[in-house]
Amino acid sequence: MSDTIFQASDLAGSRRVEFLDAARGGRARLRDRDGMSLVMLPEATLRLLETLTTWWESYSRLDSLVHRTSNMPSARELGDLAWLRSFSRDDIVEFLMELYDALVAASADQDAGVLESCIAAWRLTARQLEDPLRRSVLLGSHVDSHFIEVSEPK
Amino acid sequence: MNAQSAYDPLRPAKRPVRKPRQAPRYRILVHKSFHNHYTQLVSRVGEQQAKQFWDHIAHHPGQPDPIAQTTILKGRAGKPRGDGWSRTIHYEVSSSARIDYQYNDTYATSPDNDQHKVVAILTINYTSH
Repeated sequence: MSDTIFQASDLAGSRRVEFLDAARGGRARLRDRDGMSLVMLPEATLRLLETLTTWWESYSRLDSLVHRTSNMPSARELGDLAWLRSFSRDDIVEFLMELYDALVAASADQDAGVLESCIAAWRLTARQLEDPLRRSVLLGSHVDSHFIEVSEPK
Repeated sequence: MNAQSAYDPLRPAKRPVRKPRQAPRYRILVHKSFHNHYTQLVSRVGEQQAKQFWDHIAHHPGQPDPIAQTTILKGRAGKPRGDGWSRTIHYEVSSSARIDYQYNDTYATSPDNDQHKVVAILTINYTSH
């Protein structure tokens, strides 16, 4: 990553390409005419930073909520995490642990893939649990007599 | 034998149709609450996708499907239903058909009965997410 600080006038001159190359390489710093420092990043880097910030905030809020009370958080308390209301408190604690691990891994990898996969799987499970019949089967224990053998669908 | 003839009496004739499918390795069980859903599978998703799903669970229920998306459910919904059971696998047959199942390689209905491999289809969902 370059330590060069570009000037606003460089954008109109021959150093424009050098500025863009620095930005493509991760970060280009520019001092504006009034002294303000500006930075240009690849969009993917900005998106990663935004995603990590959003989910670290969500993690901190949920962690605080779960440890403040032994009751199940309400949908209002969960806010934009209200989709978690399908889960038990134990499941939410498990979600918190997985979310923390995924955030650490995504930060280390500089790639939100593992974080997005984790959240997608929890959201999908929440949707499966929204239906009362699916919920009762998924959360029930196995009873042989509740199942019948089938052949290939025709 | 005439050297010009294409007929070779010692070479078995080719099979007239595609080779027969292997016998399923797993017996397939469906939760009674979703049996009606199961009978609608072909009409809902088409024969090809229904067959693909069947081939997957009947032979390799624990492996990723090369075409369909599979996800292991999270939390208690994803936990094994007892000894020998896998975690719950969510299989996307199509954009509007999703099936949750677990498999067990040592299933027996009682300690005296023979163990065999089974897949238990827990839920079938015909709504798109």
